[in-house]
Amino acid sequence: MVRILNFICVALMGFSILALYHVSEKTRVAHMELNQVKHQIVKERSAIGVLETEWQHVASPDRIQQLASARLGMADSASVQLSSFDQIPRRGAEPAPLNNSPVHNASAQLPAAPPAPVPNM
Amino acid sequence: MSETIHQRRIIIGAVLCVAAFALVGIRLVHVTLLKSWESGRAATIVAARADLVDRNGQLLARDLPVKDLYARPAVFWDKREAARDLAAATGSDERRLLSGFNNAKHPYVLVARQITPTTEARVMHLGLPGLEFEPGGKRYYPDGRNAAQLLGVTDPDNNGVSGLELGLQDQIRASAGGRVATSIDMRVQYILAHEIEQARQTFSAHAAGGIVMDVKTGEVLGMVSLPDFDPNQRKLGGGDSTRNIMAQDVYELGSVFKIFSFTLAFEDHTLKSLDETFAIGQGYKIGKYTIHEAEHMPATLQARDILAQSSNIGTSQIALRSGGARQREFLSNLGLLSPVKTMLPETARPLFPGANWGMIETATVSFGHGISVAPVTLKKTAASVVNGGRQITPTFIRQAPGTDNRGRQLIKPQTSQQMRDLLRYVVTNGTGRKADIPGYEVGGKTGSAQVPGPHGHYLPHALRTSFFAAFPVHDPRYVVFVLMDQPHGTKETGGFALAAYTAVPAAAHVIARIAPLLGVPNVAAPTELASQ
Repeated sequence: MVRILNFICVALMGFSILALYHVSEKTRVAHMELNQVKHQIVKERSAIGVLETEWQHVASPDRIQQLASARLGMADSASVQLSSFDQIPRRGAEPAPLNNSPVHNASAQLPAAPPAPVPNM
Repeated sequence: MSETIHQRRIIIGAVLCVAAFALVGIRLVHVTLLKSWESGRAATIVAARADLVDRNGQLLARDLPVKDLYARPAVFWDKREAARDLAAATGSDERRLLSGFNNAKHPYVLVARQITPTTEARVMHLGLPGLEFEPGGKRYYPDGRNAAQLLGVTDPDNNGVSGLELGLQDQIRASAGGRVATSIDMRVQYILAHEIEQARQTFSAHAAGGIVMDVKTGEVLGMVSLPDFDPNQRKLGGGDSTRNIMAQDVYELGSVFKIFSFTLAFEDHTLKSLDETFAIGQGYKIGKYTIHEAEHMPATLQARDILAQSSNIGTSQIALRSGGARQREFLSNLGLLSPVKTMLPETARPLFPGANWGMIETATVSFGHGISVAPVTLKKTAASVVNGGRQITPTFIRQAPGTDNRGRQLIKPQTSQQMRDLLRYVVTNGTGRKADIPGYEVGGKTGSAQVPGPHGHYLPHALRTSFFAAFPVHDPRYVVFVLMDQPHGTKETGGFALAAYTAVPAAAHVIARIAPLLGVPNVAAPTELASQ
């Protein structure tokens, strides 16, 4: 009986050793994978950092202005073209501020086009 | 013959020993062969300094990953050939490398710092043994020259050496891997840099600069000093300068100083009213000296027109009513006689008459001659005059919305109100007319100072022009200061290089562009808008 008990104990110990080793290996592999992922994260963050810097460089205001004026023919808006939201009339509100302004004074108003000449036949 | 119990036990013990040794063997294989495949060290980010960002989170400066290349010359087969190949691949000095390789005292030799991935690939292609790449970071400034002097630079060891890189060093190091939010608005900074550069080119000025500041929080939204430099290059190009003239240099700023002379007059009640009339004439004698006007003036001027037309003689008379001792005490109380302390390491000590502050000194100081201050000092003091009369110190760190950093009361609120009205009058009826931008109610004062030469005399036909502006002037939110060093008149200005023709238009362009961005309401009446 004692012999059987000893055998069982030794067997259990063996199993415990194997189980412990198995867990240790799984932990080691998981740790390795974790480090790989951490490295990958750092690498990706670094790459994102470089990309953000490049983006900031290509989207910098001076570059945008150069491209906007060269390719799109855009220019700075004069202050008179800008107004605040307070001066925009709300729906149904009266009096609408701009409605009362002398529109005929606006520089944007085009002069009346002269009548088209009649071609000589 | 049957096995005895002892034999069985010996066999079991032997099996256990073999198993134990097998485990040790497996572990040895694991440690020696497989361990090298693992990444034992925790991954680290190379950034030693935090990112610098503007008030809207736009990137201003960041550490980018680069590598330093070291060599162990002891393992080279042919040191001369290795030096030649490495020099060709990295651009390093071949003689320095060879000298280092032949010096047995140092087992490692630095071949090149901060090499790019392309250079690294070239070096790897050489197939040399004994090369090691040490990861590090290189500070990069995506906007290049736009804020060069303001942001400053770092040395190869990533220590700040100038500008905010040095001034905010502790915060940048403490937040490594994170970000430090500055008060700068890159849009404002760009517009300021662009307009100042345009004006500098137009008027062929030696140097120029500008500052935009919030009058209540003290946040500096932009600061430009030209000539500038490329912070991403280690070497300066022709005509480049690392000097921040707005913080590092002191100047006689001329008539813009009259702001403080009139503030003193209001504080001391030495002016009966703004309608009071002063005799101007052709010159004003004080002892053996005669004070002249920069331009032709009428025989008499009312007090408000003395500031609007920038009369030296009229301002001198007003200042002399308070006297030299009071003037000195007042300027000292405003902070104009001591260097302004900001987060920028660059600072300058003002120059002023000293012990013999007599009548002539009182008169010249009243119109900004005989006293030299840094532009940043003048700007922050003038901001105190218009912000309700309370002390304000410039800051380069973003403040929470609604913050009011104004300190002790320097002048009475009523005086501040009177000065704001008067500065508005200068723009509507005086030398600052070119800054009268519809809808933004700009108030300001011009300054056209003579430039001292090397032998103590003023240089003929050389001016240093400036313009201080606040907007909207009835309740100022921002101040703009523009300085131009020795601009030249053009055909369009009729040859005039006074501030009204040089600094004022530049400041006006800046305000017209930044005011909508900063959300300053355009208060122009609809009819006025439509009639433009």
